[in-house]
Amino acid sequence: MKVSPENIIELSERPPRLGEQAPALGRRALVVGCLLLIAGLGLGFSGHHGLAHVLHAWLVGATFVLSIALGGLFFVILQHLTAAGWSVVLRRQAEMLASLIPWAAALFLPLVVVTLLGHAELYPWADHAWAAADPVVSKKIGYLNGIFFTIRMALYFVVWYELTRWFVRNSVAQDRDGDPQRTVRMRRSAAPGMLVFALTSTFFAFDALMSLDPHWFSTIFGVYFFAGCAVAVFSTLILGSLALERGPLQRIVTVEHYHDLGKWLFGMVFFWGYIAFSQYVLIWYADIPEETIWYKHRLHGGWQYVSALLLFGHLLVPFAGLLSRHVKRNRAALGFWAVYMLVLHLADLLWLVNPTIGGHGESEGMVFGLTDLLLWLGLAVTSFGVFILRAQNQPLIPARDPRLDESLGFENQ
Amino acid sequence: MSETRTFGIVAEYGDVDSVMAAARRIRDAGYRRWDVHTPFPVHGMDDAMGVRPTILPWITLGAGLSGLGLSILLQWWTNAHDYAFLISGKPLFSLPANIPVAFESTILFAAVTTFLLVFVLNGLPRFYHPLFRMAKFKKATDDRFFVAIEARDEKFDPGATRKLLESTGAASVEICEEPLDGQVLPGWVKFVGVLGITLAMIPLVVAYRARNAKTDTPRLHLVGDMDFQPKYKTQAASPLFADGRAMRPQVDGTIARGELRENQHLELGTVDGNFADGFPVAVTRELMERGRNRFDIYCSVCHGYGGQGDGPVALRAKELGEGAFVAPTDLTDDYVKKQPAGQIYATIRNGIRTMPSYAAQIPVADRWAIVLYLRALQRHSDASIADVPLEKREEIK
Ligand code: HEC
Repeated sequence: MKVSPENIIELSERPPRLGEQAPALGRRALVVGCLLLIAGLGLGFSGHHGLAHVLHAWLVGATFVLSIALGGLFFVILQHLTAAGWSVVLRRQAEMLASLIPWAAALFLPLVVVTLLGHAELYPWADHAWAAADPVVSKKIGYLNGIFFTIRMALYFVVWYELTRWFVRNSVAQDRDGDPQRTVRMRRSAAPGMLVFALTSTFFAFDALMSLDPHWFSTIFGVYFFAGCAVAVFSTLILGSLALERGPLQRIVTVEHYHDLGKWLFGMVFFWGYIAFSQYVLIWYADIPEETIWYKHRLHGGWQYVSALLLFGHLLVPFAGLLSRHVKRNRAALGFWAVYMLVLHLADLLWLVNPTIGGHGESEGMVFGLTDLLLWLGLAVTSFGVFILRAQNQPLIPARDPRLDESLGFENQ
Repeated sequence: MSETRTFGIVAEYGDVDSVMAAARRIRDAGYRRWDVHTPFPVHGMDDAMGVRPTILPWITLGAGLSGLGLSILLQWWTNAHDYAFLISGKPLFSLPANIPVAFESTILFAAVTTFLLVFVLNGLPRFYHPLFRMAKFKKATDDRFFVAIEARDEKFDPGATRKLLESTGAASVEICEEPLDGQVLPGWVKFVGVLGITLAMIPLVVAYRARNAKTDTPRLHLVGDMDFQPKYKTQAASPLFADGRAMRPQVDGTIARGELRENQHLELGTVDGNFADGFPVAVTRELMERGRNRFDIYCSVCHGYGGQGDGPVALRAKELGEGAFVAPTDLTDDYVKKQPAGQIYATIRNGIRTMPSYAAQIPVADRWAIVLYLRALQRHSDASIADVPLEKREEIK
């Protein structure tokens, strides 16, 4: 099922695009998503934990969307960094995922504003009086305060936006002019880009997720968050390719690409486990109360089941499930694992965020319910809508990338 | 020229497509012992040749799992069973601590097995192959493609096989001969091999001998200036001084810094050679608090926060139940209660029987603070309602 040279020329002249029904689908997703959000907000505010629960659930949902977008950015930079040929037909999908970053910024805006206004339901350090009185947090006020937090958040999103824009703009422009120099330029900027990405995503994880419990710290936390992003984006790319292969990307995405995406997903699942365990074992070994408290919250009051779910469901089971080459080359099986990993990724974020609902970094046991599900679903579905509406503007593959034929004819040895 | 026999029939092709087509036909004709030689990897050739999937992944999986199991067994055996050794107060057999080693061994076993098996399954190392006798075959590393069907294949038939190959559009078809004695290793290779193995045994033999023989000669010192440092150890002799001692006694009529023990009550806890009752320092609330703080840090691990001899060290020792252990004294016992303050002070300073001295860790003032706090603990141990001030009695009802 090779694509012949003539086909490649035709591809680059009339590259595949989303079908006619796409805008309608996108708009419908937006409407459904908004309804879900309204329901979730209504339920959340009337619930026992009110604003605190809504903010935490929102943080999980927004981080979920952002993690896919960041994963997309990572994927794009990585392909340029390594001058990868196999992935060219997938790269545009990742570019479009990364283009969700401004939208993700909008999702984080309410959280930042609430914190800036001094509401401490989400980030306890936003309560100045409490922070100043706390012997540990008082030392961190210079970093953990509303204004500096807002500045940093703005910085992360601006940096990510600029990175994305640079890679996407060049890639889309190449669709028109076919200038191979663009590929060279993107490769040159990939290394510094990766460095900036690593630093910003690490500090984002510190600020947005780790500071939920401002006493606690773990230097590997940024990598942990990144591992989640990687798991999320490879799952999403698998699902995106499966969906598009039924239409415009037919005979462009092949089983060989799934095989490679599957390898990545498998690798990242294990990487996540490796990092999660690295964090755990050091804290377990040292056994210092100021560090173990974080796991204590997550091993009591119902959270211990989520912890066990992550150990088995996010690591051991998918490790065994994705190990075989046959699974990676089987569309249905790989699709199942992609959906599965996205669900478990949500569980991971839930596990990071919700145990701090008790306020001031304390746990109140298992706070989780329909509110969370409605808000997550609402955020995911609206984001899907935005994604579709933006994606229809460009071709679905970088049609004049110099390595396109390599990617089309790619075969695993 | 020595005698030869037919190794197989070799066909030569000029391009990928024709060799692929030929491979498919030979596969369909049912041959098993044949191979294709190309200057570069050709995608889809496995399929065209009908190469069956290798069992290597399964062996790798098995090796990985063995590494996992064995390493956990090893850690359990060494640390929890054969020589139970408590580390950082963790359980003797605790999975989190074992995982790094288990993880590494899984990979080690899987990787080394795979690496070696790739050679074995490919029939390597191999010093000789009959195809190399054909001058033409050198082009397999350049721009020609070859198919070789071996004579040991069950379907091999000189005439029919040749015809089959000719019908696949081969540029040439030739018979490849191999010498009957071609598989024999040259003598010098055997010699080098035996020599190498013999030499490799020498260190083992030397080590074995050294472990099982007695000797008068001192061992080799590889890093001499670490083993023999130019310095005197405590109690060592020195020819430099008339009395032959390297340690110098205090010069008469002098006192070393920090060793002026003018106030015996304060420094030694004694007055005129007897343990003193009462405190040589002002008894204040701060001193009491300081005492609690120091006691909790230094003494509670053994004697317990309440002083009753039930600290974690004592409890753990009791659990292990090893005979020689002397339990820490219950400090609220009458026997200690009756001791004058100076005696308890002296216990901290000098240690007593199995309890070591704490003089090095705890300075004089803190020792008295601890004694004071200990007095409070003792008082507390048999307190009655009469000890509670009237206005506070309501609170504790
Ligand atoms: C390492 C464990 C350990 C620590 C720490 C320790 N002790 Fe002891 N202590 C003992 C043991 C064991 C004995 C009983 C010694 C024996 O009978 O051989 C003892 C006995 C005593 C006694 C009774 C002495 C007597 O006259 O029989 C006193 C008083 C005492 N300790 C005070 C202290 C104080 C004060 C501290 C803190 C500075 C302290 N100990 C720290 C193990 C400890």
